[in-house]
Amino acid sequence: MILPEIVLASPSPAAVPGAGIFTSPLILSLTIWLPVAVAIFMSVIPNPRNRYDTVMKQIAFFTNVGILFILFVAYNQFQTFLPTVQYEEKLPWLASIGATYHLGVDGPGMTMMMLSGLIGLTSVLASWGVRERVRSYFCLLLLTQAAVNGAIAAHDMFVLVLFWGAAMIPIALLILGWGGPRREAATWRLVGYWGLGTAALLVAIMTAYAANGGGSFDMDVLLKATLSPRVQLAVGAALVIAAATRLPLFPFHGWARDVYSEAPLGVSVVVAGSASRLGAYLLLRALVAANPAAARLLAPFVAILAALTIVYVALVVIRSVDLRWAAAYLSMVPGAITVLGLAALTPLSIAGSVLSTFTGGLAAALIVAAAWTLTDRAQSRSLQVLSGLAPRMPILTWILVIAALGLLGVPLLASFPAEAMVLFGSFKTQPVGAFAVVAGLVLTAVALAALVHRVLFGQPNPDAPAVSDASLGETWYLGLLAGALLWVGLFPGGPKLPGTDQTVFDPGLLNVMAAGITDIASPYVASTTAP
Amino acid sequence: MRNFVLVPEALVVAGALLLLVMARARRRPRRWLPPSAAALALVALLVELWVGGTLATLFGGALVQDRFALFAKAAILLAAGLAIAVTDWSDEDAPSIGMAMVLLAAFGVMVIASAGDFVGLWAGLELAAMAAVVLVSTRRTDLGLRLLVVGGVASGLVLVGLAFVYATAGSADLQMVRKGLASESATLPLAIPVLLLMGGLAVRAGLPPFQFARLPVGLGASPLGAGMVIGLVGAAALVVAAKLSASLVPVPAVYSPYLLVVAAAAMVGGGAAALATRSPRARLAYLAAGQVGWIAAGLATHYRTGLGASLFLIGAFAVAATTGPAVMAGADVGEFALAGLSMLRPARAAGIALVFLSLAGAPPLAGFFGEFAVGAALAQSGNLWVLALGLLGGLMSVAAALGTVRAIYLQSPPDESRRAAGARLPVLTRLSTIGAVALCIVIAGYGLFGNPILGLADQGAEALGLR
Repeated sequence: MILPEIVLASPSPAAVPGAGIFTSPLILSLTIWLPVAVAIFMSVIPNPRNRYDTVMKQIAFFTNVGILFILFVAYNQFQTFLPTVQYEEKLPWLASIGATYHLGVDGPGMTMMMLSGLIGLTSVLASWGVRERVRSYFCLLLLTQAAVNGAIAAHDMFVLVLFWGAAMIPIALLILGWGGPRREAATWRLVGYWGLGTAALLVAIMTAYAANGGGSFDMDVLLKATLSPRVQLAVGAALVIAAATRLPLFPFHGWARDVYSEAPLGVSVVVAGSASRLGAYLLLRALVAANPAAARLLAPFVAILAALTIVYVALVVIRSVDLRWAAAYLSMVPGAITVLGLAALTPLSIAGSVLSTFTGGLAAALIVAAAWTLTDRAQSRSLQVLSGLAPRMPILTWILVIAALGLLGVPLLASFPAEAMVLFGSFKTQPVGAFAVVAGLVLTAVALAALVHRVLFGQPNPDAPAVSDASLGETWYLGLLAGALLWVGLFPGGPKLPGTDQTVFDPGLLNVMAAGITDIASPYVASTTAP
Repeated sequence: MRNFVLVPEALVVAGALLLLVMARARRRPRRWLPPSAAALALVALLVELWVGGTLATLFGGALVQDRFALFAKAAILLAAGLAIAVTDWSDEDAPSIGMAMVLLAAFGVMVIASAGDFVGLWAGLELAAMAAVVLVSTRRTDLGLRLLVVGGVASGLVLVGLAFVYATAGSADLQMVRKGLASESATLPLAIPVLLLMGGLAVRAGLPPFQFARLPVGLGASPLGAGMVIGLVGAAALVVAAKLSASLVPVPAVYSPYLLVVAAAAMVGGGAAALATRSPRARLAYLAAGQVGWIAAGLATHYRTGLGASLFLIGAFAVAATTGPAVMAGADVGEFALAGLSMLRPARAAGIALVFLSLAGAPPLAGFFGEFAVGAALAQSGNLWVLALGLLGGLMSVAAALGTVRAIYLQSPPDESRRAAGARLPVLTRLSTIGAVALCIVIAGYGLFGNPILGLADQGAEALGLR
């Protein structure tokens, strides 16, 4: 059932009945500015003696439900046969330097928006236990979501860098204010690495802007300009650094362990699920789609980064003594697979990378959230203490197993088609990188199996503190992530009426995703068919 | 309409004189005085926006009303009005004199903005600086004296520089200087006075490494006095620098490389120093110094886009740097004094947070838009190394600003006994709340609605003859 869907995912966008009936020029702006407006509203309404803390949570929750609904309408109405940008909005912003408020999404962008919507809702649910300064927390969480949505929807490099940089500030404050004991170190590492990435992104954009004559930051102009190979290479290298700090990739991963283990759960979910995926999205949008010469030249290095990351993660997890740290490192695996697909530069691997960005976001958020919840419920993070928890934590056992399988890409989960497409598409053009990544995946599987066996199915530790299973609320947010992984894994092309090819309710992530990939992959078609 | 061009200046001067007379007549100011002074600045701003679009040449070319003047005057009137509104007047030693000095300093900048020759530039700069000396002296005469001496040195450097440029170009008129220098080549005898001139302005603007002479003054003065020194006087010097650099454009080699190096040092040094210090006011001063570096870098590009971007950033800088110390008021003795301010003074806390983040260049606030525009100009002029250093400084600045924002929003307020030891909570008034809210709107809206503002700044640069 899955393999035909994979074949369909190669760039051959097809029409989905019922799409394109509803469209609005404000859909993308709503997903950015609605959370900002709600955050401002929440920050000014009176909250004497924190009496309305629950109301604040509810406001944040329903805002995210609303955003997800808007995004689902956009997703449902997305015209999959059109390779162009849809839901476009364009207004002059800083006209004298050529910056415009230009938003729009193609297939990969729509996929990312759906990921961000799902992760946003999950993060609010995962933050339900926050008790201190509830109003500030949810305001910052909404601002984070707005910034991530803005960076995805941006079709102007100025808008992209604006939201890319803006995402760092609320996340840093959330970790500083609500993080664990080592929150200071986590925050400054995040600011340092992400700041370096933002600086690299700005240098890349400005270099391309100057080389193009300085007329415009619009992606339609800037990314389609003919730049000299030398400039393309400089821009490409800076973009790789920017992406590697965000995803993260070895050796730019210094923030990941501290942030994922010290940040509050909701923030970890956002960072692992959507904010860090922006790195892969940037590589796709600004390097692979725009600078073919640089992409080809840098491809081996990018593939090496992916391979190093995955092997490094496996080795660290094998030696890890802290479950949250192990989960933090494991959350880097999907990013490495995504990047391998982008380095391979074949239509199939690029399509796989786009799908992997979505599934990787879900899987990374799930493993981080599952580990966080489990360590919270077990009152310990130490792998020397956590052992044989399955009988006492049946729900969390299931979730952790699904998360582990999701990372490894087993059939029936969404990450399977993604990883299959990336690997099938990569062996031809990046055999060494692909082989190293597969070897790393095998090592990771071994490390994960040992971890899961010890924590869940090993001998129970009689000296361990009392444990309890996930509460109903925790089951909801974990189930949402796991359910999304399962849904896309079972119906990558959307659920179909029996005996027909017509999709019902969900046009299929693969169909939506494929729109736009034709354009992105077109420079690389010849190179893959050449003898 | 031409006859109304000087109405804003007249309003500001009349208000300042009236306040001085009232200060002489009675020691305790009336409660309606600060709102009235803020309203006066607002009215002057509205009149400026209404009639300022009229192009006019007055007093035989000594004053020129063009788009540059319109932009600079509007920005400075906005900064002055907001500073008066957000100041905790119970913490100022001579409120009437304080308001008068703010208005006089604003008038000084307005004179500079309209100046058609060296005399106007120098007179406006001195007026703004003297107003700051008076205000600083109301609390600490020793610091006033120090500022006077430092200002005297700066003034001397500027005067010597102007005199040499006058001798070289054969005229004190800015347009004539530009024309005169078009036939000159970049020689050492011309470069040295320009270096002195820029050095004097750097002292006035607080551009690192020249800010050390001025920093103790900024730290010891009253909140409004510090805002005057860091913000209004700095903005005055920067407006002078913008006008002079436009006149020196035919020979960029005499100032551009020097200015780029100083700008890069300021951007990195300002950010590093802001990160190292824990005192909120010192951190604000260093963040402002870093942003002055960005402005200088834009001027050094000697292109219209660069000067337009710098002018746009001067507007953001003037508002944030002038109002910053004032909005912190008495809660600036240490980071602990700002702790938990969001619970006690939410509007003021938001204002402080946005001021710090804007001066650090954090998106999506006013400073970010200006620095991005300058960055674009730097890239176009091929100075990517300055941009890279600026981004390094910007990163450190953002980290520093986050430290202050954390204290405001994420820490609990200190107990009353500790607060009594020096961390006085700013008095809550309707004017200060409105002022703080307006400050937030201006800092957030400056960039978000930046198209007309940057467009006007760009026209301002064009008015100076740049292409």
